[in-house]
Amino acid sequence: MARLFNFNQFKLINKYALRDFSRSYKKLWVITSTLFVSLLLLSLTFSVKEALNSEIENNSKELLGGDFQVTSGIDPLPDEIIDQFKALGEVSSTIEFATMLSKEGESPVFTELRAVDNRYPLYGAIETRPQIASERIFVRSEKPSVLINESIQKLLKLNLGDDVVIMGQQFEVAGLVSSVPDLVESAVFGEFAIISMESYEKFGLNSGGSFLDHEYRIKFNNSNQVEEQEEFLRSIVAYDDSIETLLPGESGQSLSRVIDNFSNFLNLVSVSAMVIAGIGISNTLLSFVNQNNTSVAVKKSIGFSSSFIQTMYFYEILLILILTSVIAYLIGVFSPLLANELLPKTLGIDLKPTFSFLGFLNIFFIGLLVVLIFSIPSLYSISEIKAGALFRNTFNPVSLNFSLKNILLLIVLIVVLVAYFVFQTEQKFYTVLYFVAFFVTIFIFYGVSKLLILLMKNVYKFSNNSYRIAYRNIVAKKSLAPIMTISLGIGLTLLLTLSFVANNLKKEISDSIPSMAPDLFFVGIDRDIQSNLESFIKGVDPNVELEFSPMASASFISLNGIPIEEVVSESNRSAWVVEGDRRISWSEKPKPDNPIIEGEWWELGNENEMFISMDSRAAYDLGMKINDKITLNILGRDVTGVVKNFREVDYRDISINFAIIINKAFANKLPYEYVGTLKSELSSSDILAKVVEKFPNVSAIKIDRILSQVSDVLNKVFIAVTAISLIVIVIGLIVIVSAVLVQTTFRRYNNLIYKILGVDFPTILKAMTMEFAVIYGTLIFFALTVAVISSYLVVENTLQLSWQFDLGLTLWILVSTALVSFILILLANRSIFSPKVYPLIRNE
Amino acid sequence: MSAAIQFNNVSLSYGIKDDAVEVLKAINFSVESEEVISIVGPSGSGKTSIIMLASGLETATKGSIKINSQEIVGLKENELSEVRRKNIGIVFQSFYLIPNLTAVENVSLSLEANQQFNLEKDAENLLDEFGLSHRFHHLPSELSGGEQQRVAIARALINKPKIILADEPTGNLDSANSDSMMDLLFDYTKKSQTSLVIVTHDNSIANRCDRIVEIRDGEIV
Ligand SMILES: Nc1ncnc2c1ncn2[C@@H]1O[C@H](COP(=O)(O)OP(=O)(O)OP(=O)(O)O)[C@@H](O)[C@H]1O
Ligand SMILES: [Mg+2]
Repeated sequence: MARLFNFNQFKLINKYALRDFSRSYKKLWVITSTLFVSLLLLSLTFSVKEALNSEIENNSKELLGGDFQVTSGIDPLPDEIIDQFKALGEVSSTIEFATMLSKEGESPVFTELRAVDNRYPLYGAIETRPQIASERIFVRSEKPSVLINESIQKLLKLNLGDDVVIMGQQFEVAGLVSSVPDLVESAVFGEFAIISMESYEKFGLNSGGSFLDHEYRIKFNNSNQVEEQEEFLRSIVAYDDSIETLLPGESGQSLSRVIDNFSNFLNLVSVSAMVIAGIGISNTLLSFVNQNNTSVAVKKSIGFSSSFIQTMYFYEILLILILTSVIAYLIGVFSPLLANELLPKTLGIDLKPTFSFLGFLNIFFIGLLVVLIFSIPSLYSISEIKAGALFRNTFNPVSLNFSLKNILLLIVLIVVLVAYFVFQTEQKFYTVLYFVAFFVTIFIFYGVSKLLILLMKNVYKFSNNSYRIAYRNIVAKKSLAPIMTISLGIGLTLLLTLSFVANNLKKEISDSIPSMAPDLFFVGIDRDIQSNLESFIKGVDPNVELEFSPMASASFISLNGIPIEEVVSESNRSAWVVEGDRRISWSEKPKPDNPIIEGEWWELGNENEMFISMDSRAAYDLGMKINDKITLNILGRDVTGVVKNFREVDYRDISINFAIIINKAFANKLPYEYVGTLKSELSSSDILAKVVEKFPNVSAIKIDRILSQVSDVLNKVFIAVTAISLIVIVIGLIVIVSAVLVQTTFRRYNNLIYKILGVDFPTILKAMTMEFAVIYGTLIFFALTVAVISSYLVVENTLQLSWQFDLGLTLWILVSTALVSFILILLANRSIFSPKVYPLIRNE
Repeated sequence: MSAAIQFNNVSLSYGIKDDAVEVLKAINFSVESEEVISIVGPSGSGKTSIIMLASGLETATKGSIKINSQEIVGLKENELSEVRRKNIGIVFQSFYLIPNLTAVENVSLSLEANQQFNLEKDAENLLDEFGLSHRFHHLPSELSGGEQQRVAIARALINKPKIILADEPTGNLDSANSDSMMDLLFDYTKKSQTSLVIVTHDNSIANRCDRIVEIRDGEIV
């Protein structure tokens, strides 16, 4: 490397490299193409992620809809406080709640409804079709207007001007909301509608219910001293813990986190692709060195040193790396434009290409590390070429050079590569885990290729001509086995693992959950109408399975007197149970589908003492024991209770489940509402239509609608993930094909000998098929094993689902990969099928 | 005047311990500057081994080898490269031109190894002297054996090395080609005051040299 800094030497290296480049670029296509594809993958991920994050950052005020947001939950803020807000700037208030939207003859739709005043939004705009529709909702008339999103329009088959009913009040559809500045989930994936605050108040749409949020957004008059104003606002609302405040940037945080996690995953896959490309680079370089061994020897005899020649080759690769990374980066820079087309329009996201030199360096640096790691052992083999061989006309092929110095160097480089990724991500543990698993897998497959050769030498012995040829090819020094097992093995393992995980998730959502889940989920049922509702539904369907549970809000304060934040870290799997508002329930008897696995249920009728039954998994995660004391804040009052038992809760059935259940006798004193589930043989749409007509304030979610939304999203993720792991396989195939091409001389020679010995074409073809079958067969055994184990761990431990094996999917993946690989190998080999005797005699 | 090449008790064996083959047995000989010698002997006697040792492409098992008074036994690879670059031109029996470089480029390679750049003209002049003016930009595969060997000799000579080592340079050529090749080599070494060591089986070539060194079973006789 030091040579590059001596200018004359550099000029010479540059000259030779360019000359060599222009004359033997064909041999370098493998390095170029695999490096390019993997760098492109990396670059696309980085660019889209950067563009998304900067879009979120630049639009943080639009995403919040103001400079500051206060959420007060069910109750509005007192006027005095709002007046204080108004002193600082413009204030817009909105109310958000869930309700049913219905149209004659259609099943009512569970909708997230937002009532807004005419100052909303303070930043950004509501995009509607037709454009003026956003103003129409504020026009005073006998019949108020509503804006709906496209999903509602489709579900209810609505046209502009049609009537819909919300809580018994008719609204006219004024237009379609295509996007709102804050990315409301329901606006993007579900059902969302907007009405004016005036109609909300005028028609008394208040549903009560705890699923209601009052939100206030403020746009400061004075754009200086923002922090002081924020501090002041926080102090105004500090009197009530349940009031939440939000700053610009905080609202996009969870979205950023999702983007970061997904892009981290993609980065890891890209690095895997790059490592496989690296294997190809290593193999190509080595065969390049061996093909040019006389030239190398001659250069040495003239007085060029090994390091000069190594530097020259390395410089060539560096040129390829620079070229490919520049192109990959430039394509990456413009990829946000493509992403704009692919992302849902409702997100209202407009990604812009951004060029940053640092972004380029990032990609180049990763590429450089991988190229260094994989070219060092190949390039150092140059020092093993002896110029003395020129006197004796004999050349021994050199192999990868793993001297102690090289091994140390490689370890350092690999550590730098891993560290570089680990320091860039929040998910440090998973990143390290991935790399460890990845390198272990490489070693496994390397071991597999050795094992295969060992098995063939010692165990499988058939006296069949084709098999003997296949055997010779596999145990030969230049065998395809190691490179094929490693590069195809890793790609296949990745593809299998990801499809297993995705498939298990999909199955869960399309099969397991629907069979267990109820049809309807009632939310926010007023306690006064609960019994009427129950008897009405039983009148419609006497055989209905109907279950109502009371529900109240509580927040977790402390465990055994120690504040809960000190006991439970944020990364704890069950941290959600103790964070923020938690809905709790109560009952007299243990629920039949929640078996008690530790402790005992409580005696009836103890009004003054709170008893607690905990979800067992949460309890174990949080380190609770029976008889521990838990303090909950219920309606602003701290209440301490005793943990009496742990229940096993299966959340997958989407029936009503609570992590925390308390004794009914105590709870009877609390204000509460009901949630409920319904499962019926009759059409749930019909039941829902009847219920909503009779009880306009009742809201119910249709589970199949939720599931289809989730599986829509999952399907897209599944397609993306499969496409990405396919890229890894494609790179693996390029590497294999190049390895085959490198071998053709050697194979052609062998086949020629066989031909002279009288072996016919079908035998040779059969031999190749056998060779492939033996290697692939061994490989899939291990790929499957690794994929099954890793997907099992992910599905059972991380996703908490029960893992299932899908034979059809597995066969499909294995057979199609086998076919594609084998056909490619045959094509790459086509020149060896008709070897001509002539070149051999000419000694070419 | 000091010797161009000086071998002192040089031994060379291949293999280890019991299997060791002693190829050269403590030989002593020297080549004065401007001296032209030939090394003759039966096949397997160790002629090529001497050339390899003198060029630093093989390491002596024992003894000392001096090239222009510099000890080369025990030098590192890079130092040997330098000695070779500065002092020695080698001509092989099988030419060994670099296949994807033209005649001029093959010759220039030697100059460039010595940090002499943009001297294609010199290379062309030398090739011209060797009667290859119409072959400057041809690849080795487009040249005849005789032409290839002349390019190879030009490559060895272009740097004006103090010593030229040639291992059966005419072994792959017919007699007409071989004679003109040797004329070239002899003329040129005279003109540029270079030492020349030729390994040959051809008595007529050997007899044109200042001195003949005969070697048998790894010993000079
Ligand atoms: N790597 C090696 N290992 C063992 N013995 C070797 C090795 N290389 C050469 N020899 C032996 O060294 C001896 C001398 O070889 P050398 O090539 O110097 O002979 P030579 O005189 O040049 O013969 P020729 O006239 O046939 O070219 C031979 O007997 C040869 O078998
Ligand atoms: Mg010889």
